[in-house]
Amino acid sequence: MRKFRFMAPAMVAVLVLAACGNGDDPGDGDGEVAEGDGAIVVTSLWGGTEQEAFEAVLAAFTEETGIEAEYEANRTDYETVLRTRIQGGNPPDVAIIPGIGNVRSLARDGSLIPMSELGIAQSDIEGNYAPGILDVGVVDDELYGIMVKLNSKSTIFYSPERFAEMGVEPATTWDELVQLTEDIKAAGSTPWAIGAGADSEWTLTDWFEVTYLKMHGTEAYDALFSPDGDWTDQTVVDTISKVLEIVNEDNVAGGINGALQTAFVDAVGLVFGSSPSAELYYGGGFVGGIATGEDVNPELQGQEGEAIDWFDFPTIDGNGAGLVTYGGDVMAALVADSDVAEFMEYLTTAEAGQVWAEGGTIISPIVEVDTSVYPTVLIQQEAEQVTSAEAVRFDGADLMPPEPSLGFLLQDAIRGEDLGALLEEFQTQMSNAWAQE
Amino acid sequence: MAVGTPPGAVAPQPQRAKVAGAGFSWAAALFLAPATFLLAVFLVFPAVYTVFLSFNRGRGGQFTEWVGFDNFLRLFTQDPNFLRLGFPPSGALWNNLLWLIVYTSLCVLFGLIIAVMATRVRYEALIKGIVFLPMAIAPAAIAIMWRFVYASDSNTGLLNALLGNVGAGPISLLGNPDTVNWAVIAVGIWGSVGFATVILSAAIKGISSEVLEAARMDGASETQIFWRVIVPMVSLPISVVAVTLVVNVIKLFDLIYVMTSGGPGTSSRVIAFSMYVDAFESGLYGYGAAIAIVMLALLIPIMAFNVKRFRTEAVQQ
Repeated sequence: MRKFRFMAPAMVAVLVLAACGNGDDPGDGDGEVAEGDGAIVVTSLWGGTEQEAFEAVLAAFTEETGIEAEYEANRTDYETVLRTRIQGGNPPDVAIIPGIGNVRSLARDGSLIPMSELGIAQSDIEGNYAPGILDVGVVDDELYGIMVKLNSKSTIFYSPERFAEMGVEPATTWDELVQLTEDIKAAGSTPWAIGAGADSEWTLTDWFEVTYLKMHGTEAYDALFSPDGDWTDQTVVDTISKVLEIVNEDNVAGGINGALQTAFVDAVGLVFGSSPSAELYYGGGFVGGIATGEDVNPELQGQEGEAIDWFDFPTIDGNGAGLVTYGGDVMAALVADSDVAEFMEYLTTAEAGQVWAEGGTIISPIVEVDTSVYPTVLIQQEAEQVTSAEAVRFDGADLMPPEPSLGFLLQDAIRGEDLGALLEEFQTQMSNAWAQE
Repeated sequence: MAVGTPPGAVAPQPQRAKVAGAGFSWAAALFLAPATFLLAVFLVFPAVYTVFLSFNRGRGGQFTEWVGFDNFLRLFTQDPNFLRLGFPPSGALWNNLLWLIVYTSLCVLFGLIIAVMATRVRYEALIKGIVFLPMAIAPAAIAIMWRFVYASDSNTGLLNALLGNVGAGPISLLGNPDTVNWAVIAVGIWGSVGFATVILSAAIKGISSEVLEAARMDGASETQIFWRVIVPMVSLPISVVAVTLVVNVIKLFDLIYVMTSGGPGTSSRVIAFSMYVDAFESGLYGYGAAIAIVMLALLIPIMAFNVKRFRTEAVQQ
């Protein structure tokens, strides 16, 4: 056993090294912010047209302040890469944080810099935004994330040309929507395309959220997507049953199995690609940009309103008019220096909002941005829908802890598994997850 | 599924009289230093760090809050994605058990059968070459290939195209929680049976033909010869192959990550994948470390078995 004599001192040395650790103090929070070096790095998971639109904002920022701004896209495994960089002591200066659960988790890890530390007080910028929008990025009474873009999630996309051929019209109530589904089937086509496969199960959460909001209103919605939410409540069961009235084997392209193997962009392609096989796609306002973009069918560009359009998600039994769910991304600072502070301030200005809006991929949450700058009719209408809504609610699934996944629950639900058992287990796991945060 | 030297294999040490007071040699230490340094940095330090992290909340990968055995308790009792006891049981740990039993036994069985049957024909080298070919493909590439084969759309998916030709409807093997594990295990077997075949074929060739002839003269049928003569005589290579395959099963990640992302839902997760999701995607480093320690604990008996087996064999020789 002679050789094991070296194990003990080796282990001690190893533990000493571990204890020293690589403590990373992103900021002291003591008055003055450190001087920046004239360049910042911003990361996000946007690519394609979304990336181009954002890079235009960065270029405008550089022109205004002289600070170089570089964009790094991580399209896959975004959270993993971000957390690993943070842990390695090399975080980007600014990053999009997908999902508010991640904002809470990173903020409580101490990886995010509160806006107050950068010299930005929430009360100063509150006026730039519609009420409630900034509160989404608040964790433990500190503002960490600023909403930089949003999209309505109350839009159902279709092709007006094909509707005219089939002799059908968009629906305004749920019953009309069900009837529309039947009419499309009678006309020989498949009504709905759904992309709920691996990594796309969030599309089902959108269905659930908008239906829940319309059926049960804002108070119930806020309660459900909070630590006090009760997922075994009858309202949840009713909502899922309602969604299943449309999302079922007969109405969906490829059936439920097909939907569960289709990615979200491919499902958009089923409706708007060069050889379409379905007629309706419910999704966020960004579907318009994706359908006319290089991933699906660039020939549709310029035909907004004719070959591609959207109608409001219908009211349900007379309820839910003027209620809109929306999704958005928040941007947070991970390094405290003057360049980052200037960048975050710039993002709260109407000028930044306008440059970004002109890119045609997003709606700016900044109220001063005039809806006429949006390049296509689809997006202008979307901006009007959001700004004139009676109440808007942020994507619920993004507000909750990422595990357990509402998307997985809904995948099981549309597969026809026992709802009662699923919801009970989900409630147990979810209350544990909220407690762990 | 990198397959390398059977883990824990130790070359048989020739018996040597112990030299008293051999002492500490600086030259020896110097030669050992680079390897020791690499082992310490990349093996020992992470292992010890992970052990301690598993008893911690682990915010941001640092030691932020001691939680004792809480992570382990929650892992085994409150995480249905990891282990759900019921009928039928499910969860990542259960999936690994499924892989362990099905993948290992079928790989060894098919490897044996192909090895034995190939010795009877003239084009043996060709058969073994074809069977071994998947080993040359990177596991991630295998996963992508087979994901396309299994695709539920008959324009893309080879399997469904073939089924369409005989009139059967398209089936979604990867989209159905009941079939997804079997489908991925099949791919795993396809990728690894070559390894088993080649090693067992070499072992079978080592059986002296006199033994086989004697058995045949005694009137044994081919099946009896297979199960009662060949298999016992290659039991050491079989255990070598089996141990390697079992270690592959415990650290299995790439096939799941690329083919199914643990889906549909969480039905095809394995423990290494759960560790990745919990530690790196969700930022629960302490919890992920606990899963890593569970993996280590599962591997220790196998290592011990392997080392003991080789020591026994060394003594016998």
